[in-house]
This record gives sequence, C-alpha cells and structure tokens, in this order.
Amino acid sequence: MADNLILGIDLGTTNSLAAVMTPTGPEIVRDADGASLVPSVIAFGAGGVTVGAEARAHAVENPTATVYSVKRLMGKSVDDLARVMDVLPYDVTPGKHDTVCVNVQGRHMSPQELSAIILRDIKTRAEAICQPGQKITRAVITVPAYFDDSQRQATRDAGRIAGLEVCRIVNEPTAAALAYGLDRAEDACIAVYDLGGGTFDVSILRVSGGVFEVLSTQGDTQLGGDDLDRELINLLTEEIRSQFGAELQFPPATRQALRTFAEATKVRLSTEESATVEVALGGGRVFTRTITRDEFESLASKWVDHTIEHCARALRDADLGPQDIDQVVMVGGSTRVPLVRSKTKDFFQREPYTAVNPDEIVALGAAVQAGILAGIKRDTLLLDVTPLSLGIETLGGAVGKLIMRNSTIPCQAAETFSTYVDGQTSVDIHVLQGERELAKDCRSLGKFQLTGIPPMPAGAPRVQVSFMLDANGILGVSAKELRSGKAASVQITPAHGLTHDEIDSMVQESYAHAIEDLNAHRLIDLRNESERILVAIDKAIETSGHVLSDQQRQALDAAVADLKTKRQQDDCDAVYEAMGAANEAATPLTEAQMDDVLSQTVKGRKMDDV
Amino acid sequence: MRGEFLGVNLTLWESNMTESHEQATPVKCAHCDKTMSTPVVCDYCHTIGPEAAVADHFTLLDLPRRFDLDPAEIHRKFLALSRHAHPDFHAEDTPEVQQLHLKVSAALNDAYRTLKDPAARAAYLLSLFGGKSSADDKSVPDGFLGAMMMMQEELADAIEADDHAEITRIAEVLKTQHDGLVRRIGTLFEQYQESVSCKAVVDDLLGELRQQLNAVSYAKKLLLQATNAEHAHG
Repeated sequence: MADNLILGIDLGTTNSLAAVMTPTGPEIVRDADGASLVPSVIAFGAGGVTVGAEARAHAVENPTATVYSVKRLMGKSVDDLARVMDVLPYDVTPGKHDTVCVNVQGRHMSPQELSAIILRDIKTRAEAICQPGQKITRAVITVPAYFDDSQRQATRDAGRIAGLEVCRIVNEPTAAALAYGLDRAEDACIAVYDLGGGTFDVSILRVSGGVFEVLSTQGDTQLGGDDLDRELINLLTEEIRSQFGAELQFPPATRQALRTFAEATKVRLSTEESATVEVALGGGRVFTRTITRDEFESLASKWVDHTIEHCARALRDADLGPQDIDQVVMVGGSTRVPLVRSKTKDFFQREPYTAVNPDEIVALGAAVQAGILAGIKRDTLLLDVTPLSLGIETLGGAVGKLIMRNSTIPCQAAETFSTYVDGQTSVDIHVLQGERELAKDCRSLGKFQLTGIPPMPAGAPRVQVSFMLDANGILGVSAKELRSGKAASVQITPAHGLTHDEIDSMVQESYAHAIEDLNAHRLIDLRNESERILVAIDKAIETSGHVLSDQQRQALDAAVADLKTKRQQDDCDAVYEAMGAANEAATPLTEAQMDDVLSQTVKGRKMDDV
Repeated sequence: MRGEFLGVNLTLWESNMTESHEQATPVKCAHCDKTMSTPVVCDYCHTIGPEAAVADHFTLLDLPRRFDLDPAEIHRKFLALSRHAHPDFHAEDTPEVQQLHLKVSAALNDAYRTLKDPAARAAYLLSLFGGKSSADDKSVPDGFLGAMMMMQEELADAIEADDHAEITRIAEVLKTQHDGLVRRIGTLFEQYQESVSCKAVVDDLLGELRQQLNAVSYAKKLLLQATNAEHAHG
C-alpha cells in the first residue's frame, strides 16, 4: 500500500472496523479468520488492556473493568446521560468542563482516551495487513450525522490521542451513501436509514454525476439498538422481581448478564418467531421466559416509530415526498430487526436496499472519502450538511441563529459585536447549537472571549466575528476589530470537551506509554490489580473463612504471602503467576460467596432454542 | 453573455455600487498564465483565483445578474465549481491553498443557498442594485398587512380548534399568496432591466421590490407556522 494511505474507520457504539481504498475500490480490513468487526469493548485486566471480542468475553465476569458503548459518552455531560447511566455496569463520574470520566479501578479515563484505545487497536490490526513496517498515521473517522460539535471534536481528539491525524470526520449515513452509490452511474435521490447500537440518523441525498449532495439530515444521538435491548432488560427484570421478590438487587455482573441475554434475544427474534430465556438463580431456582416476536415488536414499536418521525422530518426539510426517493439504503446492525424493515418499507413505499452488509458499508464509505482526500479518487465528491443550526446567545437568553441546519458545509457566517462600557477591551460570546429558541434549551458549544479590543467609548468598536464550520462540521472562530483592523484574539472554553492543553498532555502521555518500558507500566497495573485481589481475599476469609479445610486454609495463606512478596519485586510474570495462584487457592471461598450471592440474585447462564 | 449584460447595467453599477467592479481588464491565471473568462476559476487548469473568495454570488457561479434563472442551471454551475473549489481535492496542498479553498467553498455554498431560493435571490439582487435593506424599509404593499392579520387570526383559531382541514386550507392559501408575490417580483425585475437608464422609474421599482420582498418574508413566516401546525397534527 502506498505512503499516502489514509485509513477509513467506522468507530461504532457496538463494533468498530476499518477499510482502505485500493485501486480496485474500497476494501474492508479483515483478520486472518476473515473477521472485520471488532467489538468496541475494552477490558482492563491483570494481563493488560484488551480490546474486541476477547474483552467482550470477559464482560460478565469483570463488569466494572469492562467498558463498552464509550461512543455514547463522547462529548456528553453527566446530565446528558441520565437515561443510559443506570444500565451501564461500569462507573461513570463527572469529568472536567462538564464532561464524564469512566472510573476503571481507580483510574479515571476520558471517553476520548477510551476511544483512542479502540482506535489504536484498529490501527494496529490494519498495519498487520500492510507491508511490513508500514505505519498508519492518518485516518478518516465516521460519526453519526447528528453528532454536535462537542461530539465531533471529542472524536477527532480521540484520533489524536491514538496517534492518528484525523483528515476528516465523515457522517455515517453519508459514508454509506458514498459506498452504495459508488458504482451506480444513474442520478438518484437516496434516503439512508442508519440505526446503530446507540444512535439513529436519516439522511436524504441527491447523487448526480459523481457528486453526492446531502439535502437534509435528521437523527437522535441517544436512540439505537441499545434501547430495544433495554426494553427486554426491563421486562426480564420486572418479571424476575415479581416472581422472586421486589427487593431483589442486581449487582454489575448480573446486569451485564441480562444485557447479554437481551441482545441475544433481539438477534434471535430477527430470524425466529420466539426465543426462550433461561436464567439460573441461586438455590436451584430457574427463571424461564419465552418471548415471541410479536411481544418484542410491541416493546420496540415506539422506538421504531420515533425513527420514522425523523424520516418524515428529513423529507420535509429536503422539500421532497416519499415518492421522490429512488432508493432507501439500510445501515447499521439494528436494521436487521424485521419491524425496522417493515416500518421503513411502509413509510417510503418501497423495499429498502439491504444487500450490502449493513455493518460494513459505513467503513467502506470512509475508505472512499479517504481515497478522495489522498488524491487517488478524483471523480467523486461529497457535499455534506451541518445537522444543527448554529447561533449565539443574545440579550435575554434568546438565540440569534447564524447558520441554519442543513446548510452545506463548509459554511461561514459573520456577526458584528460592540462594547457596552467605555474602554471595554473584551467581549464574551456564547455559542450554541440546536433548533430551540432559548439558549438554555440549546447545546452550549462554549463561551468565546474576544480580547485585545482597543479601548474606545462604549459602542464604538465594531468587532466582526467569523464563524466557520469546516468540512468536518467543526467550528472555527476568528475575529477582527473593523475600525482598527486589528485581529482580536479568541479564547475558547469548551462546554463539554477538553482544552488543547489537556489533549496535548494526553497525546504526550500516550506517546510516553508507547515508548516507556512496557513492563514498568504493566507492573503498576499488576500491583494495583493484586492489591484489589488481596483485599477481596481478606474480606472473603472474614465472611466465609469457615468453609475452608485446614489444608485449603494453609494453601491460601501461602499463596497470599507469596503474592505479597512478589508484588514488592519487579518481575511482572512472577506477580501475574502469584496472582493466578492466589485466585486459584481462593476458589473455595469465591464459590461459597457465589452461592450466597446467587441465593439473592440471578446469574445468567445460557439461552436455549425454542 | 456576461459582457452584454454588463453593458446594459453599466451606468447603474457606477452610480450605485461603491465597490470597484471588476473585469475591465481580463484576469490571468496565476498558475498557467492563460486569460481567465471569469476571475473565479481558470478555464484551462481549473485553478481557483484569489478573487473567488470575495466575488459576488452571480460572479462566483458564473451566472448573469438577473432574477429569472433556471434552477437546473444554477444547480449545474454549483456542482461544476464545487468540483474545483472543494477543500477535499486540496487536502494535500499547502495550508494557504487549503485556506483559500475552504473560504471559496463556503462562499460558493452561500451563493448557491441564496440563488436557488427565489425570495433570497431577489433580496440579494435588490441589494446589489442598491435597493434598501429590510432594516431600512419595513413597508409592505397597501392592504397586505390587513389581509395577513386576518389570515393570522384564522390560523390561530384553527390551531385553537384543532381543525386540521382548516389549517391545511390556510396553508394552501398562504402558499398561493406567496407564489403570487414571487411572480410579481419576477415581473418587477423584468421592468427594471428594461428601464435601467431612467433613475426615477428605477427608484420606484426598487422601492416596490422592497415592499414585495417584505411581504414575502411575512407570508413565509406565517406559512411556516401553518405547516408546523399541520405536521404537529398529522
């Protein structure tokens, strides 16, 4: 592959994958087994950090140290996440500047850093299929079309932390349209219906002569397949409680197990008419429940109806009717749900196009855009739009709109400001994104402070502020005092993001981690992990020590003593082995405790076919 | 075609436009040194000229300065220039070149957005011809305000009564009114082009155009209210 290689990455809520542009067209990056999807799951364990299927496999046994759905946290505050927080088994805490952090065993990590771990993994996988020694340094990353500025910035920052120059942030439905329309010569109007794990988008495009022009886009960044899972989780939870006691508490491991169950049930109901869930409870109790497709569809219906309302709005914004749409392209794993397909078909009055693998089409489109940017594909052009209006707060808390939603990007607007007080040298500007009339109902992008205005009587300075949404949909601000011609400087405090300095230090940190003695880093992690295990064993001895035979007790004491010694020394493997031995010796304790736990809660085991 | 058009309007431009107006001497392409038929993009090597970032919407899209334009032609010109101006095709160029394409592309998108919408096109053209802005002249044609206030009341009543059929009827009436106003604007611009040499007539026409445009934006707002109410119901 050439030096100008730019990797196309679909950084998904549930799965991530990459594709590259080749002379014959975009190609998905696959591992030796032909698999392309990397579950967007990160596990922090004794052996280090793992990403993907391996990490997901540990989700149930290690719920607080397994992080998934990071995408839902990107550019969000704790308040934004109220609806999804309760189903996340890991610990989400407030971060700086109204952001969130994930607390993984005492280590606070931003969503950007977590996403960077996934991106780095994707990058490494792609490098593995390149020529030996080739490094990938540039990428196009896709985001939901309805992502706001904070979420886009967060995605770009994640790329930077992962050591990738993000050449372009592309909207997922647009990328899908690019992949779909690439080999189709005829001009057409396309609707892209993109229902992913955590987000929904619909975009209307007109394709003419290789130019893909987005006419409108609508969506919801907090609506996706996860919501269908949650309906099932709620159903199971309620019924288990009504059968085995309302006071039943669900520890993280159980919540994770229920989530896995719900997802598997949803997938099964796409092909089967019913699915049976069997949950083994402590004390020989078993909860069994058969869920029919009809029942699932009645739970899912309101969510799917929401997506159809968005489709209607998108058509209206494009000034088109369903009959004007020549093709409906289905994207995202959740479009496999039959109800989603039938409702989409009813609304657009045509059979949706589902031939391309809905999980891979976005990454293929990202690779096409990467090819355009690298200069190896010149006959195709994407003209995208901004999903949300951009405005500034005016007197009384209203919003003055400067750029309307569905404006083609890049897009520029200018506004002139003045001062209220004699000699005033700075002006504060509050920039907002959204369609509502009041500032408090819109998304705050940040407060901008214009400084360096020459001292003049009140109202005399005329500061022209230019707002530029670039082709990524990311905002840039510049300012000039018109009378003096002096450039005023703009200081940005992001409302829900990281400052440049913070990103820089994260980039430095990740760089440092990459070149530092990996053992040293691993040793710190292992020491923390072993500390955790020692504390857990101590506690277990206290509560259930009586179940141990003398022999077992001696073995455990020896293993604990050995671990305490080894963790003071510098040999990673020795600590790892000692940790394993201590865990092993503590098994009778854990089993005894497990029985206790199981008698008050549920533990997912397996799901049978009907 | 441009030249002829320029000839027709030259007197007016000199009197009304403060900005210097271009193309007296042919521009040469900075890249290939060939003469450019427009200062926006070179006909031969398709290099974007620095003028493109500051050109007016009509110059940028290489369209004659008039109201009566074919929407398909505007779209075609927009796509054609986008193919040369879009930053995506210059991602590997110097920061200065990238910056120019970002600006030109933003200006091009603004130009297309303005010119494709008849009311916005008319307002823009009016400002180019030296007409008053909506902030300076808020007047509307005689009798218009009374008619609109009646419509507004009818609409409010229909929304209050949750009368879907009535809301739809009002939306249709407003749409007809709006289209009528836009047609009238077209006629006024035609008259304008025929009478550019007579200042008194021109001033009257520009004044009436302003009134018609104010009426259009009034009708548009009300129409939006009506369609929003329509969809809130459906």
